Amino acid sequence: MLKLLKNLMKSPMFVVGISIFILTLLVAILGPLFYNVDTNFRDIVAGPYAPSSGEHLLGTDHLGRDYVSLLISGLRSSLYVGFLAGIIATVLGVFIGLFGGFRGGWIDEVLNMLTNLFIVIPQFVILVLISTAVKDGRSLTLIGLIIGLTAWSWSARAVRAQASSLRSRDHIALARINGASSLTIVVKHVLPYLLSYVFMVFIMQVGSGILSEASISMIGLGPLDSTSLGIILNEAKDNGALSDSIWIAFLPATIIITLTVFALYLINTSMEGVFNPRLRK
Amino acid sequence: MVVLNKVARTALAVPACCALLVGCGSNTDSSALPREETLYLSGQQTGDPTTFNPLAEAWQCAWPVSGRFNLMYEPLVTYNTLDGVIEPLLGTLVSELSNNDSIVVDLNPAAKWSDGVRVNSEDVKFIFAQGTINTSDQISAIHVDTLRAKDSEEFTERLSFIVAKDKRNNPLSVMDLLQAVRIVPAHVFNALIEKFGSKDEVKKQDMSVNPLTGEAPVVSGPYNLKDFSNTKITLARRDDYWGNAALHEGKLPAPKYIVHPIYKYNEHNTIAMREGKLDASMSYIPRIERKANSGVHTWLKNPPYYNPGAMPMFIINTTKEPLNNKTFRRALATAIDYKALDQFAVSKYSGDMKPGLIMTKGLEAKYVNDEDLGTYGVNMSLRDAQKIDAVKAMLDSVGIKSVWNDDSTLSHMEMKGQKLPTLFITCPAGWTDWEAIVKIAVDGMRKAGIDIREGFVDGGTYWPAKGNGNFDLIMDKPSADVSPSLPWDRFNQVMGVARDWQPIGSWAGTNIGRYNKPGSPEYRPEVDSLLNAIPLMTDEEQKTAAYHVLNRIFMEDQPAIPVVYLPEQFYEFSDRVWTNWPNEENPYAPAQLPWVASGTKILWHLKLAK
Repeated sequence: MLKLLKNLMKSPMFVVGISIFILTLLVAILGPLFYNVDTNFRDIVAGPYAPSSGEHLLGTDHLGRDYVSLLISGLRSSLYVGFLAGIIATVLGVFIGLFGGFRGGWIDEVLNMLTNLFIVIPQFVILVLISTAVKDGRSLTLIGLIIGLTAWSWSARAVRAQASSLRSRDHIALARINGASSLTIVVKHVLPYLLSYVFMVFIMQVGSGILSEASISMIGLGPLDSTSLGIILNEAKDNGALSDSIWIAFLPATIIITLTVFALYLINTSMEGVFNPRLRK
Repeated sequence: MVVLNKVARTALAVPACCALLVGCGSNTDSSALPREETLYLSGQQTGDPTTFNPLAEAWQCAWPVSGRFNLMYEPLVTYNTLDGVIEPLLGTLVSELSNNDSIVVDLNPAAKWSDGVRVNSEDVKFIFAQGTINTSDQISAIHVDTLRAKDSEEFTERLSFIVAKDKRNNPLSVMDLLQAVRIVPAHVFNALIEKFGSKDEVKKQDMSVNPLTGEAPVVSGPYNLKDFSNTKITLARRDDYWGNAALHEGKLPAPKYIVHPIYKYNEHNTIAMREGKLDASMSYIPRIERKANSGVHTWLKNPPYYNPGAMPMFIINTTKEPLNNKTFRRALATAIDYKALDQFAVSKYSGDMKPGLIMTKGLEAKYVNDEDLGTYGVNMSLRDAQKIDAVKAMLDSVGIKSVWNDDSTLSHMEMKGQKLPTLFITCPAGWTDWEAIVKIAVDGMRKAGIDIREGFVDGGTYWPAKGNGNFDLIMDKPSADVSPSLPWDRFNQVMGVARDWQPIGSWAGTNIGRYNKPGSPEYRPEVDSLLNAIPLMTDEEQKTAAYHVLNRIFMEDQPAIPVVYLPEQFYEFSDRVWTNWPNEENPYAPAQLPWVASGTKILWHLKLAK
């Protein structure tokens, strides 16, 4: 593990990516300890879309709420949705991909057909339809769940391909001869080979989850009970920030989303460079 | 590095392609009309135009045939919301002959349809009998007298609208109808009914052209339909409009064309206004003061920027526990932070709110008793701890206890040891100013210990819920138009007379909160008698005293919570192309777009910017 980390730390791409990502995590987790995060407090004196001041570092939103508070709270929510969606999509994708790829036969055919079906149906359309249908009680967890349940297909396809190639390896045949059950073979002899791959898939799913949440919230179909980075953008759009050229209402949230996803992308790419012998220099 | 380059290239290429697509898709054909001859107005039509048939239901009709617009079809008279004067149009109100029995209007002898036929009493009778607005509860008959000078061909038709004594017996409502019902040419529509076999078949015609001739529709107004698409509706000036000579000293309206671009979102109105592509709009534009540098102005230079005319409010379902308790309803009203509503929800367009159901500014202000507001109304100026203490005292007095979580957030309310269900304020989703009002109100109420939440629903849920009483509190704007019958109409809409009371589940047109149920222990017969008596009162002193009592009862019982004052319609104009718009310094017309009621006269006063 340490060796792996040492190898990763040699990659500047990884160092930049992990630094940015740790920074976003620190802001989300420790931010409230250093900054008063009360997203319900409205500053009547400052008013709507107040400019930057000592009291409000990035000014206020249309309801007189401090932007930094909103961004910290929004970042926490977006990361929560991203991780939840990432875990669900990865677990589901790995399970279906492994099971289909390792078992082969008609089970593989059926699961592969299901995976392909989910791939060809635009994920965003499903997201919009489900979010619209669940108009009451759309929570952060529900949005994360919906994103996760609609995003597993790429993971499944990728894992299936890897699992299929492992199926005919000698050590799997040996394990079979020794009487190991399918579950044991998958857990002990297949999954370890795929772990690095699964981890990379997970990282991309987290990034994709954050982007999906931002997109769905931006069009007004996000969670109703919390503030997320997408909701900050949606409220700015709906409340005339664009026509009043109040860029501060859009820029910080957009930059944070971009940086977070970009950091995850850098981590993923650099890991691929380390894990994939063909890409290794 | 290769990967980064790819990312950078994609990042540049995607927005560039999007911009190209957006650019290709934008509608630029409006430039076909000369800008110096075209007035661009918006804020009414947001969907595709479907029909221009004045006999079709109002919600189906496209601008300017929908609503009260009088550019194509005109009413008999118009109501000037600045001074309360009934101004002549197709007819002139004969005040000295009008009374509680009948309202008398002389038809303007000069009024003509665009096909040259004189506007006559048959046209009026036709629309009052066959139009979509049901007038039978207000008007029992229309009597026609012909006034002719001796040995003269000239004559004037005098119409007496007989108040339906055995039904509503309400001359105020008759006055409302006279300025709301637009007259249509009976000779055209009777011929159409003959051609198509029935009125229902005629209603199906889109009337963008006259089906009898294939030419432009026959109208009496100063403009007629030129063309329309799903991006705009264009009207062309009628230089032979009868009113130019009869009402405007022979002048023509300044713009030759009026275009209503169809914007689906408010934001587009704002952007078009700032860019000078739009001359006036009645859409909600937040923070209007930030647009002054782009030449966008409104009636007042300073807050509240608009003349108040409407009162958005939470109507309370008074049949539900604990909303059936008036002290609890007053607690709800006390808990709201009205300053925050004004500041954040409506961009300071409300100004100071006062208790009661009568607008404390403008034409209604004479009916307000300031002393009563302090004595009977809830205290709207309490802040923070004072407010929370006042609400808590009210809740305690009715036996309601607020239960708080460990993190100081509200859990729920209890009454007699039983958990009360969470209340909801129903509000149409996507109406940003209303949504903000509800959010801020909910926030204030929850801080004060009232378990209530936002209930944002789509239109398909909102309208049935409103009529059937399927709500706890609902956001509504009763009496949205300023009319001669205010403030009586607002009281009637909110408190209702006994004969209109409907149980939950039955459709209610007025009193949707089911206040003052006849026969119930809380029933107050004086509400009923005052609502019936006020329209017949001719003595101003008596009327004022009656309004004082009615407003007092409203404040005591709080069947609704007015939350902000807003204009009857938003009125924003840009002086980049057209100037001489009316405002507080130049009040020659009310703060209305030049397409409705007395505001239409603005068209004859506009000047081109130099």
